[in-house]
This record gives sequence, structure tokens and C-alpha cells, in this order.
Amino acid sequence: MFKYTIKRLLQSVVTVLIVVTIVFLLMRMLPTDYFFTEDQLMKFTPEQKEEQLQAAGLLDPMPKQLVRYYGQLLKFDFGESRRIQNGVDVVSVIGDKFTISMKLGCTALVISLFVGILIGIIQTLNKDRILDHVGTAYTIFVNAVPSLVSYSLVLAFGSKVLGLPSLYSTRNPSETSILPIVCLSLASIASYALWTRRYMVDELNKDYIKLARVKGTSSAGIMIKHVFKNAFVPLAQYVPASFLYTIGGSLLVERFFSVPGMGPLLTDAIVRYDVNVVQTLVVLYAVLGTLGVFLGDILMMLLDPRIKLTGKGGTR
Amino acid sequence: MKKRGKWLALALVAALAVTTVGCGSGKKESKGEKGASEEIKDLVTYEVPQREMENVFVLNTEMAADLNVLCNTNEGFLETNPKGQLVAGIAKEWGTEDNGLTWTFKMRDDVKWVDQQGNEKADMVADDFVTALEWILNAHKNDAGNNTSMPISMIKGAKEYREYTKSLSADEALKLDKSKFLEMVGIETPDDYTVVYHCIAETPYFDTVAVCACLYPISQGFIDEVGVENVKSVGIDKLWYNGPYILTEFIQGNTKTLTKNESYWDKDCKLFDTVTIKLVEDVTVGYSLYDTGEIDTIDLAEANLRAIYEDENNQYHDYLTEKLPNKFSYQMKFNYAKKNEDGSDDTNWNTAIANEAFRQSIYYGLDLTKTYERANMINPLSCENTAYTMKGLVYFSDGTDYVDRVEELIELPESNGKKMRRLDKEKAEELKKQAIEELSAKGVKFPVEMDYYIPAGSQLALDSATVLQENFAECLGDDYIKLNIGTYVSSLTQEVIDPSLQSVVMNGWGADYGDVQNFLGQETYGEETAYYSMNYTNINDATDPELIATWKEFTDLVNKANAITGDLDERYEAYAQAEAYMLKHAMTIPYNLEISWQLSKINDYSVSHAIYGMQNAKYKNWETSVDAYTTEDYEKFAEEFNK
Repeated sequence: MFKYTIKRLLQSVVTVLIVVTIVFLLMRMLPTDYFFTEDQLMKFTPEQKEEQLQAAGLLDPMPKQLVRYYGQLLKFDFGESRRIQNGVDVVSVIGDKFTISMKLGCTALVISLFVGILIGIIQTLNKDRILDHVGTAYTIFVNAVPSLVSYSLVLAFGSKVLGLPSLYSTRNPSETSILPIVCLSLASIASYALWTRRYMVDELNKDYIKLARVKGTSSAGIMIKHVFKNAFVPLAQYVPASFLYTIGGSLLVERFFSVPGMGPLLTDAIVRYDVNVVQTLVVLYAVLGTLGVFLGDILMMLLDPRIKLTGKGGTR
Repeated sequence: MKKRGKWLALALVAALAVTTVGCGSGKKESKGEKGASEEIKDLVTYEVPQREMENVFVLNTEMAADLNVLCNTNEGFLETNPKGQLVAGIAKEWGTEDNGLTWTFKMRDDVKWVDQQGNEKADMVADDFVTALEWILNAHKNDAGNNTSMPISMIKGAKEYREYTKSLSADEALKLDKSKFLEMVGIETPDDYTVVYHCIAETPYFDTVAVCACLYPISQGFIDEVGVENVKSVGIDKLWYNGPYILTEFIQGNTKTLTKNESYWDKDCKLFDTVTIKLVEDVTVGYSLYDTGEIDTIDLAEANLRAIYEDENNQYHDYLTEKLPNKFSYQMKFNYAKKNEDGSDDTNWNTAIANEAFRQSIYYGLDLTKTYERANMINPLSCENTAYTMKGLVYFSDGTDYVDRVEELIELPESNGKKMRRLDKEKAEELKKQAIEELSAKGVKFPVEMDYYIPAGSQLALDSATVLQENFAECLGDDYIKLNIGTYVSSLTQEVIDPSLQSVVMNGWGADYGDVQNFLGQETYGEETAYYSMNYTNINDATDPELIATWKEFTDLVNKANAITGDLDERYEAYAQAEAYMLKHAMTIPYNLEISWQLSKINDYSVSHAIYGMQNAKYKNWETSVDAYTTEDYEKFAEEFNK
């Protein structure tokens, strides 16, 4: 286990380094004109443009820039934002957004896990009956209807009928979070319900369940001790990653309800050529991604001791 | 099982019915029926994400998204009124006695700097303008170079001081006090409340620069408090304020809140207790927020406008109000040295566009009404742009708007409310024949292909371009001009303008300062400072002698006007002659004004409409009503405003 952990950690560091380097190089390969707004391109003289690029260090040779960047990374110096919040430390820019996205995302995830798995279990227990069909209809509806349409319905119903505020506000976060959380949960509830049902139905058809029945084990005992436990293992591997990904926020939901979270930050930073913000977010997402997979593997192993991660082909 | 299914169906229907009723279409009670309405105390307005604020330090930005907020927290010498004219503010008196070579501003002595809690930090004095200009021109303090261009081109020694600071190390430049600056730059403070600027040349419009961030003040006390190296990155809690509001909340991507500054010098003005600016995904989402009463004004997207306008029973039908034009004058700018994608010259286009009859046939023949309907389906002809310079920029001493004089010179007919004023189909047809004859002799092939570029993936831009394409086909004929729609991925400048691929670009210019030179000066021949000539029209690379002669004549007319600095009426008349020449020769063709429709509780006619500067979003002396204004209310406001 220890050996495995060390090996995975080293692999993760290399993965993050490769991702970060590729993104660094890609950002530098863009023409430097992207550094400026269309307005600045219109009004700046070539001399003014060069002055700014020089000040940002973008005219230095690529290896020099890369080495400087690695040096900054080692010191956890992520630099300042240039466009999202001019002159403000990137960590500060990300800090508050990080907390808001994580709070909303974790709440939505807990709700989704609880409600989704419950719906999946109810569907399995009522397989091919009305409740199963209702659950399936919900899953199909959520997946078939474009997100913006379902969010608009939630917004119209929530604000018009229930009188809930349409936009997120840090002054009243509990009430204004309701609609974003509902929207964040819609798709994941459907997903957890779908997969719970599918894995449970698969387990129910296996021979060991038939044997348990023949041996006289009660239905409840079979469902709890065997079916759900085994069906939850493949689901469990994604739970840590899902929790970590909540930090990234949701682009659509956060834009729709003006949540000042992480969701739109990466796209905004890329569009505005805010290099330091882009690079910091990439580091963050790469770390979260590798950590999520790693924790998923550990959790899966803890839930099902038959799974060996150290054997050949044992890891993801 | 069937029973349960029925109940589910009923529940679903009930939920949908409740939602639909909630969305409502019942007609709203009009304000007239309820009598006079009270004013809004806490205004809630909106911005879209593309216009989110990036900087909170006023000297470090030229972006409208920032300045629309910061014009409320910071104040310079002067203000602008609803007609866009300069009025006294912190400067009680101002003027020049030598045709604009020296400008003197005499300040009030009761202006205070306050912190975010409203505690008084310092008196505002003349030295604050010196401190600010030094910060702007110091290449290490202001390394991004924001707000430098106007001071460098107008104020004596400004360029030299910037060069001087560049030659210093960052440490030396940051430690500089103001002695070297005052020695080198044309600014002085004879006493605590007087500031004198010395311009490089006679600059009769210099006072209009006073409503731009480049001449705004900051206090030395503020710099000392936060440290010179932290000025740009300072948070709103550390800023010092001298404007009518304090920025009490800024949550990036969500909300900005301005709270009334109790120490503001103008005790008689009308201010809101708070102004909240919410970030809204787009105007369609914004419309839902207006509907639920969460915001007080909303611009209408075409679909919303159509739905409200065409349904007389719609609750907002009588509340549609037409906005005033924004500060941009859009022009159809031709490229006179167009290239093909392989880098070779597009000879067919370049020869055609150099022909005056060809250009004039477009000027007189192209009916843009359908294009205008895209933004303003109710009153499309109000979007017709008649001149190159934006209306309201400058006025003659008798109050005549400069653009009215240009219209007079080009003999533009009065509007009959049915067609565009410049449209003359017979004349266009004659010009078309003449152009075909002249150009065929030069080997031009018809139809002439006209390449027009829009952003890829924008349905809105594609729809508008398609309408324009149809306009060309219907008005001038497919056999004469064929408009091709091309796309660029992310930057028009890099992908289209730099390689000179466009035949035509529709581009709007908003003035930096209040003089016609700032408009016409962008189109002159052989001058590096002429932005459009250098980039969009590429006139300096054109080869047709007749075309070049036309441009040179126009340039001479502009330069003659530039030289007149003593008598402003004479100066404006000279510019009007130059602009009339430009329009008669269809060197560029006025395209449109941006005028859309809205639902609003704000009387737009009480808001500043300056064509230059940064004060149009200053929430001072705004008239509002807790009940939305009706179409009828706005008609009365317009009548009063235009008297």
C-alpha cells in the first residue's frame, strides 16, 4: 500500500508537470496580440505594445520564461491577475471563488448522492413498475432537455411561483443558493439513480444472489448486505473525484445565476489572456484530477478487499 | 397503478399551469392611473459578464466597464450635463486666455477624500492633480501605459518625462518625488486650489480632457498609506474616494454596490442611497429579473421586444421606451488596398472602390432600413447615421449642433419618416451605370465581390450580415455587387485587418475628447496618427491618383481647421466643410447609430449623454420612478429635451 501510494504520488507529480508545461507552451504560442484587448490593439502604438509585453516578460526567450515559471511554482508564487482583477494576487482572485463553488457543489453533491441513490434503489425494488418508469422518465428528461432549458424552467418556477431570488447574493447566501443547488443537482441525481439501478439490477441477476435466496436469506438482507454493497463499489470510485471537482464549479449554472464562483473563471481567463490565472487554474485542476483518481482507487479498495491495486493492471 | 399515473399527470399539469400564470400576460396598471410616482432610493441595475470590472484604481484603466463604476467614486475638475456639455464641478471656473496654450482650473476648497467607511482622510488640493499626472507618466509606476496617450500628445514635457522615467531603474522611478516632474512637465499649482496646464500647442478643446481619467486626481496621502508599489492592486477597502459614491462592495462576477458618500461636496444634488450593479448572463435573463422586480431597467433583445410590441395585451406593451443613441458613430469603412488570402492585391476590388461613382452609388442606393430593424424594429429610421462625427460632440456658439451644419452642407433632405434621408434611387441608378461604364473600361469584372467578416459562431452577427447581404442584392443588384460573408475566430484585428482581407468593415468611433479633430483626424492621408487610414482603409497604400487626390484635398481641409484655434465657430465651420467633402465623395459611408428599446424606471433624458469622457454612468441627478416609465412619458421627456 505504501509503495503504491509513493508510486502514484510520483506519477501524479509528473502528470501535473507535463500538463502545466503543455499549457504554458500553448499559451506562449498564441500570437502576442492576444495579450491586448481589441480596444488596446486599436489605440496602442507598436512601441506601447512592446513596452507592455516587455514588462510582462513575454518577449524573453521561451526556455527563460519556462525556467522562471518553474521557479515561481516551487515558491508557490502564482503571480498577479492581469485582466480578471488587475494587479490582484491570483491566489486571492481564486480564493473566494473557490469557497463559494465548493459550498454549492458539495451541498449539491450530498443531495445528489442521497436522492440519486435512493431513487436508484426504489427503481430497483420496483423494477418494471410505475415508480421505475417515473425514475427512468426523469433520467431521460434531464439528459434529453438542454441544460439551459431546464435551468430556465427552474428559474421561472422558483422565482415566479416560490418567490425565490433569481440571482446569487453573498448578502443572503442561504436563500439565493437554493436555485443554483437545484440546478446543480438535477443532472447528478439522474446519473446516480441510473447507475445505482443498473449496478443493482446486474447484481440481482448474479448466481450468488440466487444462492442466498435459496439459502433463505431475507430480501432486505440480500439487498443491503450483498446487492447494494457490491453495486456501490463501482460508483464509489468516482465519489472523491466528484467532491474535488465541485471546487471547479459549474460554468453554466454559475453564469446563469451570477454565482461568483470558479465555473466561468477558466474560460474568462483564457478569453482575456490572463496567463497567470489560466496557469494557476490548470495546476489546480491537474492536481485535483490526479488526486481524485488516486483517492477513488483507495476508496474502492477499502470497500472491496478483493480489489488489489498493486497487481498487474490493478490501477486506473 | 392507473390511478397513480393520473395523479402524477395532474400534478405536472398543475405545476405547469402555476408557472404559466406566474409568467403572466395581464396588462400592467399604468402609472397615469396611479398618479405621480415616487423616486427610487436604491437603484438596481445590471451589466453583462463581458463588461465586468477589472480595475478599481481609476488611473490604471481606460476600459468603459471600469470607468462606468469609477466615475462615481472619483471625480475630476468638470462634469457633463444631459446634453453632453461641460459644466462646473470641482473646478468652479476654468478657461484659457491664449487660444488653448495655457489652461487654468480654479477648484472648490470644500472637497474631501474619504475612506470606504466614509471617514475623512484629507482635503482635496491642487497637488492631487500633480500627484496623479506624475503617476500616469512614470513608466515604472504605470507600466501598462494606461491614460498616457492624451497627456503625452497635449501637455508640455509629458513625453520627455515618461522617457526619462523609462531610463531609470524601477527602484529609482518608484522613489521619485515630484520635483523633477514639476521641473520637466507643463503643470503648476500657484496655490492650493489652482492648477495650470501648459499645452504643447494651442489646444482649444483641452478642457474636455478634464472629464477623462487621464486628468483625474489622487492624493499623495493615499499613495503614502498603501505604498507606491501597491497602488494598482489596492482593494476597495483601502481606496480613497472623492466622488458622489463609495464602492462598498465588489464581488467579481456577481455584484458591485455603490453607497452615497455623505461627505460629497455637492450637497444639493440628487443621489441614490445605494446603487447595486448585478452581473447578469444576458439581457434575456435580465428580462426575467426585471419581470420579478429584481432590477430597475433592462435593454430588450429583439425577441422580447417583438413579443411585447406585437401583443397589445402584453403587460409591458405601453412601457416600451426608446433609448438615446450611445456615443459611437458607425461607418462603413472601405479598404482601398485590399489583399487576397494569398497576399496578392485584390485588383478587382481596389479598382472598383477607387471609383467615386461606384462608392456614391452605394451611398445613395443602399437602403439599410431592414438592417436597422434588427436592433430597432419599432423606429428603425432613428438608427440612420447621417454624418461621420457623432451628433452632440460640439455646438456652435448659437447652440447649433455641428452635425446639423454638416447635414445642411451636404443638402440632406429632412426625414419623412418613411425612408432613409440620403436614399435617392434614381441618382443611385445613374451612378451605377456610370460606374459600370468607367470600371468595365478598366477591366473590372462584375459583380464586384465585397468581402465582409463576422465572428465565427455568432448567430446574431450572421443574421445581421445576411440581412445586409440581402440589402445589397435588393438595392444594387446581384449583378453589380456581391457581398461575401467571411468569418474570423477570435480577433478581427489579427485575422482580418492586419492581413488586409476585408473589403468593408462597419466600425464605430467614440471620441476621446470634445473636438471634431478626434473624428476626422483618424481618416487623413499620409499621417501616422490617423488610425483608420493606417489600419482599416489603408488609403496610404492605394495607387489610384484620383483617389489619392481626393484624400489629400480632404486632409488639407482638416489641417486648415486644425490650425484655427482662436474662434471655435470658425474652427467648427472649417471642419464641417471638410466632413461635407468627405461625405459627398463617399470616402466612408455613415452606417448606423445604436438605438435600442428598453423597459426602465430611469428617465434617460436626465442622464449625462456626453460623446466623450467617462461620466455617462455617473448616478447623479438622475430622475427615476418606482413605477416604470411609459412610452408616453418618454415622448414627453424627448419633446422637453429637444426644445
